[in-house]
Amino acid sequence: MGFAKYREDDISRRGGTSREVLERRVRGGPTPAAGSAGAKKTTAAATPAREPKLKDFTVATPRPLPVILLLDVSGSMSTNGKIDALNESVAAMLQTFATEDATRAAIHVGIITFGRGGARVHQPLEPATRVSWKLLEASGGTPLGSALDLATQLIEDHTQVPSRAYTPSLVLVSDGQPTDAWQEPLQRLLSAERAAKATRFAMGIGDDADAVMLSAFLASESSRVFMAHEARQIVQFFRWVTMSVATRSRSARPNSVVLSEPIELPDFDF
Amino acid sequence: MTTAAIFDANVCGASVRGPAHCSQARPNEDAWRRASGAFGTVLVISDGVGSRPQARLGAQMACRAVCGAVRGWRGGRVVLSRLLQQIESDWRRGIAPANPCDSAATCLFAWMRPKGQLIVAGKGDGMAVAIRPNRKPHWVVGPRALGFANETMALGASTELETWEHWSLKGSSEIAVVLATDGVSDDLLPERANDFVSWLVAQSRRRTPRARSRAIRHQLLNWPTPNHLDDKTLTVLLARRGSRR
Repeated sequence: MGFAKYREDDISRRGGTSREVLERRVRGGPTPAAGSAGAKKTTAAATPAREPKLKDFTVATPRPLPVILLLDVSGSMSTNGKIDALNESVAAMLQTFATEDATRAAIHVGIITFGRGGARVHQPLEPATRVSWKLLEASGGTPLGSALDLATQLIEDHTQVPSRAYTPSLVLVSDGQPTDAWQEPLQRLLSAERAAKATRFAMGIGDDADAVMLSAFLASESSRVFMAHEARQIVQFFRWVTMSVATRSRSARPNSVVLSEPIELPDFDF
Repeated sequence: MTTAAIFDANVCGASVRGPAHCSQARPNEDAWRRASGAFGTVLVISDGVGSRPQARLGAQMACRAVCGAVRGWRGGRVVLSRLLQQIESDWRRGIAPANPCDSAATCLFAWMRPKGQLIVAGKGDGMAVAIRPNRKPHWVVGPRALGFANETMALGASTELETWEHWSLKGSSEIAVVLATDGVSDDLLPERANDFVSWLVAQSRRRTPRARSRAIRHQLLNWPTPNHLDDKTLTVLLARRGSRR
């Protein structure tokens, strides 16, 4: 019998337990944990603290691309199917953002409404994949000034929109005249350090929409207010905004805005 | 026979193309360069501003302009404003006939002079941090406080010297400088940024520059932040007082 075979036979005669383990049992000392090969010596040394790794110092979430909607939910929006079209359009936009290619910028959505009870955060800014859409209801006045102040506060808040975020998109939709002072809040937004840099979109719904206010909001000669006179056009506007944001999110440089004209979009479902 | 205190410096680092440029088959638009000689050691990094047609050229010429200006510096005392003006004009000459606006690029550099003066300066985003023993890291550039990602001042955007951040030090026996583009700095946890640079410098001291450069390259290629897009450059300059006869 060779040495190796002797060793194997030695263990097998002891029911699979090595001579060292058996001797230790007889002496009453510690034995290796079950499943260990042979009689490995164990030490009582404490496990040293883990050496830091790069992931300990870096953010574990993708860079956000914030999209903030300012939506008029005043009483006039309850007529002619406007609020229904708005609900349908925003829901479709959220659905598209939630299923966008996950290998690019992460789209975050926040919604501020202005109507009865003033301006309020209808949807806090969070990843589109986590948004649970709640239908809008229309009633009350049009406190646009309060909504603009809320939007400014949101964008200027580094905990909500971190410095590593891409430039936010800000979308204003309204069908009428503001019922509060809006000029100074708009000036504050357009002169704020960060909010002023947001990419702005504006849509007026119907003949009563305040085109002057909407143009002042855009504050750009190259941008134009989109005017909708039917529910179908509300849906089209939001498709355009959705496409523009999605294109940015897929871009190597999401801060480069690529905006096609709304009229270039085909009038059918994507 | 006299001994003169002189500073020895070495550099490690790496630059990698980001996933966005990989998917578009575009080259890395970051660049970095180091040079050593009688003038000491200089380290420079640059990030071509995205969406500009000559971003890569702008970044490469920024590195060349800094090294050239430092090599060509005559005179004992460095007048920073003149040095920065030289860099700006050398850069414009280097990119010609391309338009400065089309070639915009950030520029961060650290120059360790032989007798121990350190000059750190930067135009644009990213990070430039000086680390001395037993002191909190000193941030010359970064972390990003205002604005948003991919939004920066750069060579080609303005010639005003006030757009440069700068800092100078003399007298420390040991010092390290970390330079990185925003593809790295923007993904750092703000509350751990100081720990990061301290950790990086400690890692750099344990290995040879070549080994450390390989390790940095590996880390950049396996960047942990999900969905990261940008090109990335990360470099470390280590300097220590030595002696020569």
